[in-house]
Amino acid sequence: MALQCRLSGATFQSLKLATIPISSSSSRFIFRTLPKTLNLALFSRHSAPKAPPFSVLIRNLSAPAVAAAPAAETSDIKVVKPQWNAAIDFKWIRDNKEAVAVNIKNRNSNANLELVLQLYDKMLNLQKEVERLRGERNNVANKMKGKLEPSERQKLIEEGKNLKEALTTLEEDLVKLRDELQIEAQCIPNLTHPDVPIGWEDSSKLRNMVGSPRKFDFPIKDHLQIGKELDLFDFDAAAEVSGSKFYYLKNEAVMLEMALVNWTLTEVMKRGFTPLTTPEIVRSSVVEKCGFQPRGENTQVYSIEDSDQCLIGTAEIPVGGIHMDSIVAESALPLKYVAFSHCFRTEAGAAGTATRGLYRVHQFSKVEMFILCRQEESDMYHEELIKIEEDLFSSLGLHFKILDMATGDLGAPAYRKFDVEAWMPGLERYGEISSASNCTDYQSRRLGIRYRPSESPSTTSKKGKTNLAATKFVHTLNATACAIPRMLVCLLENFQQEDGSVIIPHPLRPFMGGVEAIYPKSR
Amino acid sequence: MKGKLEPSERQKLIEEGKNLKEALTTLEEDLVKLRDELQIEAQCIPNLTHPDVPIGWEDSSKLRNMVGSPRKFDFPIKDHLQIGKELDLFDFDAAAEVSGSKFYYLKNEAVMLEMALVNWTLTEVMKRGFTPLTTPEIVRSSVVEKCGFQPRGENTQVYSIEDSDQCLIGTAEIPVGGIHMDSIVAESALPLKYVAFSHCFRTEAGAAGTATRGLYRVHQFSKVEMFILCRQEESDMYHEELIKIEEDLFSSLGLHFKILDMATGDLGAPAYRKFDVEAWMPGLERYGEISSASNCTDYQSRRLGIRYRPSESPSTTSKKGKTNLAATKFVHTLNATACAIPRMLVCLLENFQQEDGSVIIPHPLRPFMGGVEAIYPKSR
Repeated sequence: MALQCRLSGATFQSLKLATIPISSSSSRFIFRTLPKTLNLALFSRHSAPKAPPFSVLIRNLSAPAVAAAPAAETSDIKVVKPQWNAAIDFKWIRDNKEAVAVNIKNRNSNANLELVLQLYDKMLNLQKEVERLRGERNNVANKMKGKLEPSERQKLIEEGKNLKEALTTLEEDLVKLRDELQIEAQCIPNLTHPDVPIGWEDSSKLRNMVGSPRKFDFPIKDHLQIGKELDLFDFDAAAEVSGSKFYYLKNEAVMLEMALVNWTLTEVMKRGFTPLTTPEIVRSSVVEKCGFQPRGENTQVYSIEDSDQCLIGTAEIPVGGIHMDSIVAESALPLKYVAFSHCFRTEAGAAGTATRGLYRVHQFSKVEMFILCRQEESDMYHEELIKIEEDLFSSLGLHFKILDMATGDLGAPAYRKFDVEAWMPGLERYGEISSASNCTDYQSRRLGIRYRPSESPSTTSKKGKTNLAATKFVHTLNATACAIPRMLVCLLENFQQEDGSVIIPHPLRPFMGGVEAIYPKSR
Repeated sequence: MKGKLEPSERQKLIEEGKNLKEALTTLEEDLVKLRDELQIEAQCIPNLTHPDVPIGWEDSSKLRNMVGSPRKFDFPIKDHLQIGKELDLFDFDAAAEVSGSKFYYLKNEAVMLEMALVNWTLTEVMKRGFTPLTTPEIVRSSVVEKCGFQPRGENTQVYSIEDSDQCLIGTAEIPVGGIHMDSIVAESALPLKYVAFSHCFRTEAGAAGTATRGLYRVHQFSKVEMFILCRQEESDMYHEELIKIEEDLFSSLGLHFKILDMATGDLGAPAYRKFDVEAWMPGLERYGEISSASNCTDYQSRRLGIRYRPSESPSTTSKKGKTNLAATKFVHTLNATACAIPRMLVCLLENFQQEDGSVIIPHPLRPFMGGVEAIYPKSR
C-alpha cells in the first residue's frame, strides 16, 4: 500500500471588512510506506519516507476506506493537531534552503521543502494580516472612548464586530497553518557533517580497523552450535512460550551477561558518566521526539494496549526524556549518562535477513551512553564516545572496524554516525555491535532541552536588572557501550577452543567470580 | 451392512445409518460445548489447601518465625524517598513526565546496589544447585493464564501488547513455568531447580490508595526468582527448602523480618500453601512484604501440561517382552522470590541509614560493588 504524504495549500484570501469566505482546508492525507530495503543496522530509524507521527492519522490509515487506490483523493480529512511541537527554526531553513534541499536529497528523505517554505511564507503573511486587523480593532476601540454621535457610535460598533469575526476566523486559520507547517517541517532530517560520505551503505567510509581475524586451525562453530553444546541458551522453549526471536540464557551465559553489564558500567563510570537504570515503558510522544516512529508501518516499537505507552527500543529514549522541557545551566554541561536497560524491538520488516540465533532478537540488555552538551562541543564528544567504544571492544580482544556511515544510512536525527562492526567468524562476516550518533539539536528541539549560556556582568541594564542571555538548544549524542546478544555472539565465536570450551576475556573474569572459561559439561 | 441383504433391508439400514449419523454429529457438537463449559467453570476451582494453613483473611495468617529485631535509632530517621533524594539515588519526577506515575530512574550508587543485589543473590542461590536463567519478558497470554494469572480480567495486573496475544510478565515464574510446557520430564531429571533474573511489569490497577509511595509499589522492577519442578511427594520438602534459602539470604543482609503462613483468603488460586516474608521498614514504620514462597502442587502443571514418568521396575515387563511404561504424573511446581530489588532497596536504605546521612552497605554485597562500604552524601 503506497501512500503519499502531501498537504494541499489552503488559500487565504486577503481580508476585507465584509464577511470573508475561507476555503476549508481540504487536505489529502495519504501515507508513504517505509522502505522495504533491509537494514542490518542494529538501530534503524526510518530516515526516508516518514508518516506524520500523529495517532489520529494512523487511525485513518487503519480504516478500510483510506486503504483504497494509492493516488486517489480521499474525502476531506481535516488537518490534525500535532500532539507536540518541535522548535524548528523556519527562518534558518528559508535562509539556507539550498543547503537544506541538497541535504534532503542526499539523505533520500522525501520531506517536502517547497511546501514547508510555502506554508512558512503564508504563515508570515497571515500573521501580518492578523496584526493589522488587531491594530484596526484597537483603533476602533480607542475611537469609541471619545464623545460620539449615536450614529457614529453605532457604525463603530458594527465595524468592531466585523473586525472581531474576521480576526477569529483568521486566527483559526493561523493555528491550522502552523499545525500544517509543523507536520511538514518535522519530516526534514537533521543536517549532515561535511565529512560524511554521500550515498548508501557501500559508500560508508572506513575510519579505523582494530585487530585482525583470528586464524583457526580447527573447524569452527557458530554461536548457536556452541551455545547448544555448552547448554547456554534455549530458543525452542522460548518459541513456545513467547514466539520466535525470543530466548532464555542459561548457566555461564547468564554470568557472562552480568559480567559484561557490570564491567561496561564500571569502565564507563570511570570516565565520568553517571550510571542510570531507566523505565522501559514510556509515553509514545517521547519516542517520537527522539526521532522514532511508534506507529509507522513496520515500526520497531511495541505499543501497550489501551494506552499511549510503548516499550523502549533503546535507553536513549528515556534518558533523552530526563531533561525534557527544561533549561539546563551551562555550568551543568556536559551531562554524561551511562544507562542499563532491557530493550524491545519488533524487528518488523527484518524477515529474511540474518535472523539466526542471537543476531536479531526481540528483547535484549544494553548499556547505552548519552551526552547532552554545548553546541560547540558535540563533534568533540562524538570523538570521545567512539574512542570509549574502541577502548572497550579492544580490551575484550575483539577485531572490528569503525565506519563513518553514509548519508543514506543516517536516519533522520543523526548529524553523523559511526558504526562498529565486529568480526563474527561463525557467521563469516562483520556484524554491527555498536553505533555512535551525534544528533546535534534535532532531538533537543523536539524534547525541548535548552541551556542558558553564562552571562557577562556587562549586560546589566540601567534598572540594575541582569539581562538573561538567550537560551540555546543542547546537542545530544548517544552511543552503544554494550549490546549483550551481539557481544555474546562475538565472544563465543571468537574465543572458542578446539575442545569445545570458550575462553573468557581477562577483563570480565573478576566480574564472573574469576571463571576463566566455559567448559563442556560432562553428561 | 457387510452381509448379504435384500435391497429393501439394505435401504432401511442405510436410512437408519443416516439418522444415527446426524444424531451423533449433533450430540458430538453438544459434547464439545459441554466440555468447554465444564473447563471454564472447573478452571475457577482453586487449588487444594495444606491442612496446616490457617483459615481466614490476612489477620488470620500465622507467624512461623521472626528473625532479628527492629533497630533502635538514636537520631531522627528518614524514609527511603528522602534518603534517596539527599543521596541523589532516584528520580521519580522525570520518570513521571517520561512514563507516568510509579516509574523511576535509579542513579549512582543505587544502580550499583541493584547490580550487587542481583549478582550476589544469583551467586548464593546457584551455590545451592539452582540453574541460572534470564527469561523473555514478553510471553503469550495463554502461558500467563496457565500459571494462574488473569491477563484480561478487570483490574488485571498484566500489561498487554497491542495487536497481539502477547503480554509483559509480572514475574519470571511465568516464563520459567513455560519452559517445560506440554512435555514429559524424566523422573531422574527431577527436581529441576531454576533461579531466574528478569524485569517484571505490573499495572498495579486497583492498588490506588494503598501504600504507593516511592519504591514500595512500582510498575517495573528487577527480580530474582526461584522455581522448582519436583515429584509430588517432595513439594512440601522443597517448600521448606525455599523458605530456608530466603531466610538465609535476608539474614545475611542483616534485615529484621517475620515469616507468615498465609491464611486461606490470601492464597490466590494456584497456591496450596504460601509463606510471605515481611521485613521491617523503619521509614514506613511497618513491615512490608519483600518475598513470597508458594507451593502450587499440580495446579500449574495441569494447565501447563508438565508431567513426569516415574522410573519403572523390571517386573512390569509384559508377556510379549514389551515394557509397560508407568503412567505419567503431574509435577509439582513451587516458586519463591529470592530478591525483589525495589523493596530490598527500601529495606537497605531505611535500616542502614546513619546520622550523617550516609547508608552502610551490608558486607555480603560489598565485593559485588567494587568494595564500596557505604553511600555518602555528595558535596555540592
